Amino acid sequence: MRTGRAVILHTAVVFGFLIVAYRLTDLMLFDHERLARRAQQQHTAVEDVQVRRGIIFDRMGRELALNLDLESLYCDPKTFAPSWETIRMLAPLVDREPQKMLSRIPDEGRFVWIKRKLPPETADKVRALNIEGLGFVTEAKRFYPKGDLASHVIGFVGIDNQPLEGIELQYDKYLGAKGGKVFRERDASGRTLSSGISAEAKGNNIVLTIDEVLQRIVEKELDRALEQWRAAAATAVMMDPYSGGILALANRPAYDPNAGGSAPGFEKRNRAITDCYEPGSVFKIVIGVGSLEEKLVTPNSLFDVSRGGIEVGGKVIRDVHKYGVITFKEVIQKSSNVGSIMAGMRLGKENIYRYAKLLGIGEKTGIDLPGEVSGWIPKPEHWSGTSLGAIPIGQEVAVTPLQIVRAYAAIANGGYLVRPHIVSEVLSPDRKTLASFRDGERRAVLSAKTAETFKEILKSVTEDGGTARSASVDGNLVAGKTGTAQMIDPRTKRYSKDKYVSSFVGFVPADNPRIAMIVVVYEPKGQIYGGVVAAPVFREIARQALSYLNVPREDVPGKQALLAWR
Amino acid sequence: MIVGRRRSIGKLVVTPFLIALLLISVFALVFVRSQIVKLEYRLGELEKKKTLCLRERKVLFAEKTSQLSFARLEASSQSQDGFVLPDRLKVVQIGKHTRSMPSHASFKEKQLAEP
Repeated sequence: MRTGRAVILHTAVVFGFLIVAYRLTDLMLFDHERLARRAQQQHTAVEDVQVRRGIIFDRMGRELALNLDLESLYCDPKTFAPSWETIRMLAPLVDREPQKMLSRIPDEGRFVWIKRKLPPETADKVRALNIEGLGFVTEAKRFYPKGDLASHVIGFVGIDNQPLEGIELQYDKYLGAKGGKVFRERDASGRTLSSGISAEAKGNNIVLTIDEVLQRIVEKELDRALEQWRAAAATAVMMDPYSGGILALANRPAYDPNAGGSAPGFEKRNRAITDCYEPGSVFKIVIGVGSLEEKLVTPNSLFDVSRGGIEVGGKVIRDVHKYGVITFKEVIQKSSNVGSIMAGMRLGKENIYRYAKLLGIGEKTGIDLPGEVSGWIPKPEHWSGTSLGAIPIGQEVAVTPLQIVRAYAAIANGGYLVRPHIVSEVLSPDRKTLASFRDGERRAVLSAKTAETFKEILKSVTEDGGTARSASVDGNLVAGKTGTAQMIDPRTKRYSKDKYVSSFVGFVPADNPRIAMIVVVYEPKGQIYGGVVAAPVFREIARQALSYLNVPREDVPGKQALLAWR
Repeated sequence: MIVGRRRSIGKLVVTPFLIALLLISVFALVFVRSQIVKLEYRLGELEKKKTLCLRERKVLFAEKTSQLSFARLEASSQSQDGFVLPDRLKVVQIGKHTRSMPSHASFKEKQLAEP
C-alpha cells in the first residue's frame, strides 16, 4: 500500500518537474525572443531628451532669451470619458469652449493635445481635477524676459521651438541642440528607477553686441518721437564706428516675442535692414566725399546757388531757401540741393556710382540677421536724363538705414567700411568660448584726409547755420547730416505730397567718436524736416547714451574727472 | 575510537555551519540587491523632486530677470524711490578721473568700456 502511494507520489513529482522543465524550455529557448522583447517593453520607460535652446545675452551678460519648463496637457481618447460637469470645469482652464474642446478629441487614437505649455498654476488646477485620461508632458518654452525690448533683433520661436525670426533663426545651428531618447527601468506600477543619465540637451549660448540699457534708451526715445509726430514707423541703429558692433537696433512699431506668432506682419518688420527708402540729403555724403577725394572741390570752393533752382533733364530742382554764393562746406551744412547737383555734375555719374558702391550703397552690409536687403542704385548706363539731378540729392536710389549709418561710420573712423554685426560670441553651455566675431573686418574706402575734411563739414551741420542745430549735445560735438525725402505713393507711383521720411545720421563725440547712429522717422505729421523731427531724437538718445557709457564731456577744461551728484 | 568521535563531532558542527553560512550568504546577497533597488527607487524619486525644483528655479529666475530689466528699474526707481539716472550735465568735476576708456577712439583699442 505504502509502496503504491510512493509510486504515485514520485510519478506526480516527476511529472510536475517535467511540466516545469517543458515550460522553462519553451520560455527560454523556443519563445525567448518574443518574451524578452515584451519584458523589455514592460520594464523600460522611454523618455524624450528635453532640448533646451541656448540663452541669449546682451553684451553685459544680461539675459534676453531663456527657457521655462512648462507642462502640456494631453488626452488619451480611449480612457477619457468625463462627465459634462468635468468638461465645463476643464474648458475655461485651457481657454476653450466646452463644445469646441470635445469636438477636437477624436474617437480613436491614444494621444491628442488639449493645450500646450500651460502656466504652472493652471497645470496645478487641471491636475487637481484628477480627470482620468488626461496627462502632462513637460516641454520647454522660450521666454523673453524683457518683453518687446530688441524684439526685431532677438526674434522668436514657434510652438515647437522652431526658429522663426531674428537671432533665433540666424543662429539656430548654435542655439538648438539635438534631442533623442533616454531609457529608464521601471516596475510594474510604473515607478522609475534612477538611471543617472541627464535627459536634457542644452544648446550653445549667444552673446550679442546689443546693450540692454542703450537699447532701452533708443526704444524709449523712438516711442516718444512716434507719439509726438504721429508717425507711421521709426527706426534707429546705434553702432560702434570702429568695430561695427551694433549697440542698439530698434524699430517701431514693435511686438512682444512672447506672443510673436500672433503679432501682425508690419510689427515684425525689421525696417533697419529689410526696408528700403529714398535717403534724401543724407546721400550727399557720396557727392561730398567723392568730390573731396577726387580733389574737385575744397571745403572753401564756391558755388553760386543764388537762383535757388537748377534744371536737369527738363526738371527743375529747388532749394528750400535761396542761399546766394556759398562754399562747398555750406552746401553740405545747409543741405543745398542745387549746390549738391552742381558738385555731382562735376563729379560725373561714373564717379557718383563708384563712390556710392565704395560706401556700401546697393550692397548688403553682411549683418548677421536674416532678411537683409541690398538696396539699389542704378548703373550709370541706366541713368535717365533726370538722374544726375536726382541721385546727388538722394532720389532714385534705395538704401537701408543700416547702410547709411555704416557709410557715416566710415567718416567717423577715418575712412574704413566696417562690417556691422550683432553677435560677439558663441559660448558653450558651460560658458567656454566656441566662436567670436573676428575684429578687423574692414575695408579702406577713403583717404584719412578726406574723412577728416568731411568730418569737419559734418560738424558744421549741427552748429549755428546748419540744418541740425537741434542734434547738438551739451558737452560734446556732433557730426551728422539731416535727410528729408518724399515717399513714393504706391497708388499713383509718384512722389507723395504728404508722406515723407525724416532722418538724421551722425556720430558723437565728433573728434573721438564712440557711437554712430541713424534715426529715421517714417511719415511724420506736422513737420517733415530731418532737422526738426529726427535730429532731436538723435540728441536725446546721444545725451543719455554718453552718460551711460561714461564718455567725458569735452567742454570741461583740464583733466576729465569723476563725479559727484548735485 | 576517539578519532571516529571527533569526526562525527566535526560533521555535526561544520556541516550545519557551512549550510548556515551558505544561507546567510544567499540572504545577504538578496538583501544587498534589494537595498540597491530600494536606493534606485529613492534616487528616482529624488530625481523627480530635483526636476520639479529645477523647473521652479527656472520660473523664479525668469521672474527675477524680468524684474531686473532696465525698463522696470527705471520706471520704479523714478516713480517710487526718487532715483535719477546718471546725467553728465549734473556731474561736478572734483578730481582726476580714473581712465575708463581709451583717450582717443581708434581701431587699436576697444572703444566702449564696460559701464
